[in-house]
Amino acid sequence: MIWDWQYAFEILPRLLKVAHVTITATLGAFVVAMILGLVLAFARRSTNRLLSGVTYFVVEFIRSTPPFVQLFFLFFVMPQFGITMGALMTGILGLGIHYSTFLSEVYRAGIDSVDKGQWEAATALNFTSRQKWVHIILPQAIRPIIPVMGNYLITLFKETPMLLGITVVEMLSQAQIIGSQSFRYTEPITMVGIFFLILSYGASLLVKRIELRMDINRR
Amino acid sequence: MSNIQSTERPHTEAPIEGKDPIVRFKNISKSFGDLQVLNGVDFDLYPGERVAIIGPSGSGKTTMARLLMTLEEPTDGFIEVDGRQLWHKEVNGNFKKADEKHLHEVRGDIGMVFQHFHLFPHMTVLKNLMEAPIKVKGMSKAKAREEALAMLEKVGMAGFADQYPARLSGGQQQRVAIARALVMHPKVMLFDEPTSALDPETVGEVLEVIKEIAKDREMAMLLITHEMSFARDIADRIAFFDEGKIQEEGPPSQLLNEPKTERLGEFLHRFGIDGKGHNV
Amino acid sequence: MILIEVHLEILKNLLPGAVPTIQLTILGAMLAFVLSFMGGLGRLSRFAVVRGLAGFIVEFFRGTSLLVQLFWLFYVLPFMGIRLESGMVGLLALGLNYGAYGSEVVRSAVLSVPKGQHEAGIALNMTAFQRMRYIIIPQAFRTMIPSFGNLLIELLKGTALVSLVTIPEMTFEALVMRTSDAAHTLEIFTWLLLIYFAIAYPLTMLMRWVERRYSLGRL
Ligand SMILES: Nc1ncnc2c1ncn2[C@@H]1O[C@H](COP(=O)(O)OP(=O)(O)OP(=O)(O)O)[C@@H](O)[C@H]1O
Ligand SMILES: [Mg+2]
Repeated sequence: MIWDWQYAFEILPRLLKVAHVTITATLGAFVVAMILGLVLAFARRSTNRLLSGVTYFVVEFIRSTPPFVQLFFLFFVMPQFGITMGALMTGILGLGIHYSTFLSEVYRAGIDSVDKGQWEAATALNFTSRQKWVHIILPQAIRPIIPVMGNYLITLFKETPMLLGITVVEMLSQAQIIGSQSFRYTEPITMVGIFFLILSYGASLLVKRIELRMDINRR
Repeated sequence: MSNIQSTERPHTEAPIEGKDPIVRFKNISKSFGDLQVLNGVDFDLYPGERVAIIGPSGSGKTTMARLLMTLEEPTDGFIEVDGRQLWHKEVNGNFKKADEKHLHEVRGDIGMVFQHFHLFPHMTVLKNLMEAPIKVKGMSKAKAREEALAMLEKVGMAGFADQYPARLSGGQQQRVAIARALVMHPKVMLFDEPTSALDPETVGEVLEVIKEIAKDREMAMLLITHEMSFARDIADRIAFFDEGKIQEEGPPSQLLNEPKTERLGEFLHRFGIDGKGHNV
Repeated sequence: MILIEVHLEILKNLLPGAVPTIQLTILGAMLAFVLSFMGGLGRLSRFAVVRGLAGFIVEFFRGTSLLVQLFWLFYVLPFMGIRLESGMVGLLALGLNYGAYGSEVVRSAVLSVPKGQHEAGIALNMTAFQRMRYIIIPQAFRTMIPSFGNLLIELLKGTALVSLVTIPEMTFEALVMRTSDAAHTLEIFTWLLLIYFAIAYPLTMLMRWVERRYSLGRL
């Protein structure tokens, strides 16, 4: 028999027990990415040519090399420099750094999407630089990027299984462990797939709705 | 369907006498959801005839042309093209909804020039004209090229054969679009406000081209336009469209000088025509 | 002197692994490209059955995470009596996953072509196929190129994951090397990242060049 329901129900609790690892990794990495992405976006916009140039290169480099390898890099190399942290923390940091390069581009696009006239109007009204950002530019820049960020959150979620490479026991890793113990891989791996499908598809529908809402409100 | 030949709508003599209409609208209605746009249109167009359609914005003129071009499906009624049903297929005396194959057959008689040209931006001007004859009519490349160049000559665009549309002015693009429709040699050509998307200074060149091709009466022309003096110059007959219907039609002199309905009088007045055919 | 030898030794071990990495990238991209059009056009089909089926398949492969799919093909398929070579497993997973993402690229690019272009095609009595083939797709293709370029880099990054199913590509080689030479972990993974970048960067440049080529003719 290809699919054994009883076995599936038996192992479900064991799989769900580590669901929080997957979720923690996703949300943790996203927070890191949001904060670091902001730093990168501003560094890239800096009038200091050196800072902006170096940032450009770093962003290009990180985003065009595999996050999987970056994870190994952090996991194996950091301890050599006396930095020790758990595998999950390393994973959160690694994925967070990788995705910060994408979010920095998203922020930049958001800021650039604000009409130049808005800056000029704010200047004409004699706002301070800080006031311009806080009251005029950011409120307009954030709106269009929220759905885009939502999509990156979903993408990031689907990347978390790779953390098993650095010994994090998340859901896919747990499925692999269960499978190797009972030598039945079909149920655990399929169930993990369905878990990812339900959450990411559900979230993508939500993002689409948000996107629509954001659009209408703009008019 | 009973009032098709109603006496209210006299037809001009010359090109029509003794001929069957090339296009016939019978009691055509069209709704978009709750919005009834066409409300029982009866209309005949004869081979070689030139009819201008005028009327207020939103009255359904474009919709009428789009039904004939098969870009929109009528809610009710029949359209005949050269004696054949357009939107229906006759099977043992019953009318069935036409399939794509049937539409493809009948549609070949009709051509259209759009308000916004819709040239293919990824093709040169020449390629724009050659694509359909080759692909749709199976014409040889050499023949298609020859015809295309001749047609470009006719609309005064021969010098632009190798340009891409984006480089051309609106008026030039529209002239190419006219040539593109002409190389298919339709029996009926629809013009949907061909100059209303143009800069004022290029309107003239396009109207000239249309007048030029109107000279040989091989093709019937249906012109939706807001250019009253152009309509008067070129049309054998003008039809006034309002509230989803043709309210009044007749030769330009009659329709523009002695409007029968109050609505037409008002409409003309807004165009600075005083009801006696004179500009005020 | 010793230093240089270490680096040469690392490169000697890593570079042969770059060959399968590049092969997987190219073949995976070709498979994904074909599937993108099948999926994207399938979702726009006139026939509800085709639309529904294509939609389901695309959402399925988008939603279930690349690594889960890879594991499923690797661990579960043999239980169903289908035994694929591990290289084929990697290729299939990459092709299906990025093909699903590519389907969305194709679909939205086709939808972005103005309605008037369809109508002009109808007015010239072109068939639905002719309109798609000669009018819509050539225009949509320009819109697709930048997104396909991004997906190509994502696919390259994704090839690192297939090391987990014992395909001896570059990351696999690096991990093997590290187990016997842990002292040079930093050097090994730095080189690994640099080689990935050396593959990605020309690919990015190539895609930009293609993009420029295809935008000729338009203003
Ligand atoms: N696809 C559609 N869906 C819904 N409503 C439509 C659609 N096409 C046209 N309409 C509506 O039908 C009415 C008639 O439109 P149509 O374009 O035929 O008018 P028109 O006489 O050509 O006007 P104009 O002179 O402005 O071009 C309008 O109210 C328009 O909003
Ligand atoms: Mg109109």
